[in-house]
Amino acid sequence: MSFLIPCPNCGNRSVYEYRFGGELKQRPEATASAALWHEYSFNKVNRAGEQTEWWFHRAGCKQWIQASRNTVTNEVRKSWIAGEDPA
Amino acid sequence: MNFLFDSEEVPIQAGDTVASALYRSGRRIFSRSFKYHRPRGLLCCSGKCPNCLVNVDGSPSVRSCVTPALDGMRVRHQNAWPSLENDALSIGQHFDFLMPAGWYYKVFTKPATWHRVEPHIRKAAGLGELFENPQGIPEYEHAWMHAETAVIGGGPAGIQSALDAAERGEQVVLIDDQTELGGHLRYRKQRGADPRERIDALAARANVTLLQRASCFGIYEGNLLGVLLGHPHAGAAERLIHLRAQRIIVATGAYETPLLFDNNDVVGVMLSSAVQRLIHLHSIVPGRRAVIVAHGSEGDEVGADLKQAGVEVVEILAPSEIIAVRGSGEVKGVKSRRGDFACDLVIVCGPRVPDAGLLSQAGAKLQWSDVPGAFVPVGLPLNVSAVGDVTGETPVAAAQHFPDSKRAFVCICVDATSRDLKQGIADGFEEIETLKRYTTATMGPCQGRMCQLNAIQVCSRLTSRSMDETGTTTSRPPNPGVTLGALAGAKHHPIRRTPMHHAHAELGAVWLDMGEWKRPRYYQVAGAGGEAESVAAEYRAVRERAGLIDVGTLGKLIVRGKDAARLLDKVYTSRFSDLRQGRVRYAVMCDDTGVILDDGTVSRLADDRFFVTTTTGNLDFVHQWFDWWLVASGWDVSVTNVTGGLASVNLAGPKARDVLRKLTDLDLDPKAFPYMACREAQTFGVPAILMRIGFVGETGWEIHYPAEHGEEVWNAILVAGAEFGILPFGVEAQRLLRLEKRHVIVGVDTDALTNPFEADMAWVVKLDKEDFIGKAALARAASGGGVREKLVGFVMEGGVPEDGAPVVIGGIPVGRVTSSRYSPHRKAGIGLAFVPPELAAEGAPVRVRVRGQLRTAIVTMQPFYDAEGARLR
Repeated sequence: MSFLIPCPNCGNRSVYEYRFGGELKQRPEATASAALWHEYSFNKVNRAGEQTEWWFHRAGCKQWIQASRNTVTNEVRKSWIAGEDPA
Repeated sequence: MNFLFDSEEVPIQAGDTVASALYRSGRRIFSRSFKYHRPRGLLCCSGKCPNCLVNVDGSPSVRSCVTPALDGMRVRHQNAWPSLENDALSIGQHFDFLMPAGWYYKVFTKPATWHRVEPHIRKAAGLGELFENPQGIPEYEHAWMHAETAVIGGGPAGIQSALDAAERGEQVVLIDDQTELGGHLRYRKQRGADPRERIDALAARANVTLLQRASCFGIYEGNLLGVLLGHPHAGAAERLIHLRAQRIIVATGAYETPLLFDNNDVVGVMLSSAVQRLIHLHSIVPGRRAVIVAHGSEGDEVGADLKQAGVEVVEILAPSEIIAVRGSGEVKGVKSRRGDFACDLVIVCGPRVPDAGLLSQAGAKLQWSDVPGAFVPVGLPLNVSAVGDVTGETPVAAAQHFPDSKRAFVCICVDATSRDLKQGIADGFEEIETLKRYTTATMGPCQGRMCQLNAIQVCSRLTSRSMDETGTTTSRPPNPGVTLGALAGAKHHPIRRTPMHHAHAELGAVWLDMGEWKRPRYYQVAGAGGEAESVAAEYRAVRERAGLIDVGTLGKLIVRGKDAARLLDKVYTSRFSDLRQGRVRYAVMCDDTGVILDDGTVSRLADDRFFVTTTTGNLDFVHQWFDWWLVASGWDVSVTNVTGGLASVNLAGPKARDVLRKLTDLDLDPKAFPYMACREAQTFGVPAILMRIGFVGETGWEIHYPAEHGEEVWNAILVAGAEFGILPFGVEAQRLLRLEKRHVIVGVDTDALTNPFEADMAWVVKLDKEDFIGKAALARAASGGGVREKLVGFVMEGGVPEDGAPVVIGGIPVGRVTSSRYSPHRKAGIGLAFVPPELAAEGAPVRVRVRGQLRTAIVTMQPFYDAEGARLR
């Protein structure tokens, strides 16, 4: 595993500079059903193809970013500062 | 200049490799084979075959033909006893009928038998051994490089590609594993003009970096190249370079492989390119009389070189004409369909196989092509290209002949013969990948370079399939192999020291490693006995007088902003929005499954400013956790890590107030500065945050102040406390003191599944808060769901279980001790343990296994010391 992730602040960097933060998910309301919380806490989609993920650039700008990674090829075509428009 | 081979001095000439110096000094046997211990000599002279592996300066299995000979090197033979010339285990080859391919699967069918013989087989069929190098363990290092274009291979095609890229203005790195650039033109003089001029032009370019004596062992994701550079400078054995390139040009060329005939492994049978290297690179006359085995006119080139070097060429035989090589140790002659010839060299002109392993790692397919007669790379990935002989542009030729023989070695690494392959196919392993695993052909140190083509061709013929149908085995990095030391790299271990580190050292600190931090475990006072006596004295000082501990390793964060309380309410289970200014509250952090992640304290310094402490090891995690919940929240909060900027101590004990009073004007009266309060005030003339908390169970203050005053304030407190009998105390005494108070340490007394209810800390969970991380899971746990076990205290008379000792019911472990110590206060063993919830009742007896013996402990849900907390207030 030695792919590159483009950081919106620092540019193209080795994946070893980052900490993986998991798939982007919608956190349920506190009152949501146990089944929904179970799904959120323990299950992963792990889609074969493009998926949006959290990455923390610990050896760089120390910011949480979101990136779209192709889980088959490990190609990361775009990334953005979380909360900003990915377009 | 010379080096030592076993006990013999070997002179070195300029440009020598270890192998060339040995060959010049008369050595012909370089190793013994893996299975039959047959003598083996130089075969490829290019670092591609397994025959010249030796131990160099303690490193086993070094390829001596590509290792520059250095003055004072210590070289030893391997896998032969007592010597290379007389190896007792070579007797094995006379019993080869007992050891066909896969024989150990057939003979040792019972595990007991296999376990008995396995060590002997492993020892007999081995490569090098590790031994202590008198010069010490060599140093290794890592380096990182970037290139626009990386060219692998310094032959004519690689040189030209590098020049072209350099002229386009690109940053170029050229990697070559030989001592000089030029590739096969260095020793195949008739193949092309001297490349000297182009090499000089390349070396003169400022935008070209040459990595020589460096092998590229893998192409990884993201165009990352693994490059191993030998002897980067005196004192370093190898440098591993992580080279990231925008474009990769593979110009690894082609290499010659052996032909199959009886005794094709005897010492003196050499590839034509190997003798050309000996002649042209090392000015060595390889022998006296040579027989050449070649197809058509392929032998003419090496024949001319041999004649020029003064070697008599006795005969040139076609591969189909040779029957066997005569000679058991070294070549005596050749038996052929055209008669017998006496000679001391058999020169083999074998097929020249494109060296496409790296391309196949990069994602290219290897496709059989009849025109060059080789597997050629197709479907190269973007930004990877191939030039020169690796593309299969030069005919491989050399019509092969495939005798069925138990002396025609297909894989010289593991002594797999053409008969073994036939046997393997007869046993049902018809696919090349299963045949490979069954016979282990292509799985030796050369990683299939010498034998892959022959093995596939033998398999293809015996199974009547085409080469493409038969397919190839898979090339995986690293190839060639990489020293484990090089992968490990330099022995750098970062150390963090608190600002008072040297004061601790002067006080006799015995260190404890906590992650990167150094902490005093206890202080060894001269003449005070060992650890037990020191810890007991430190414990007494805290309980009876005053003690001082450095807690600078705690994580410290300033959380400020209009929404600071909102963040803390969200990430911790307790409520902080109602925390009054000047007050401290214990804080537990959970994830959304309710598992405890960390604990610490939160002090409200101002309406919009909080001082947060975390456990030593979790600071980075907690900081990132805060940031993660803040990202895109739009909240007005900033989190600043001030851990390195602050020195931190805990002053505790019945006399702590008297000590502190001498250093600050702050009113320390319990009414003015009560338990769980915090103040910002000058202490010994330095601005400090003081928190009245009681991890160790006595009146005490945690004091945080600027790190540059670390030792100054530490020493001032010790001086002020001298009249009261203050002692500095270490982590071990602190662990005992906190255990008597039943305070948990997250990560020691909790694990990756523990929630606050299981940890008996229900009081920290405020389920009436609007929302917080873990609320849904903890609400379920509060109603009894998901509480698997409970953390309880226990007292054990007459014994102390070890940390981790099992709690047992009816012979079955149902829980475990997380911490335990002998309590001087209770004069008994005390500890914390996880037990089934039904046993979590005051006075319940539990059975704990203590060093093999079951002993009874009594459960308590109360602190062992000062249960009412009177001493804290």
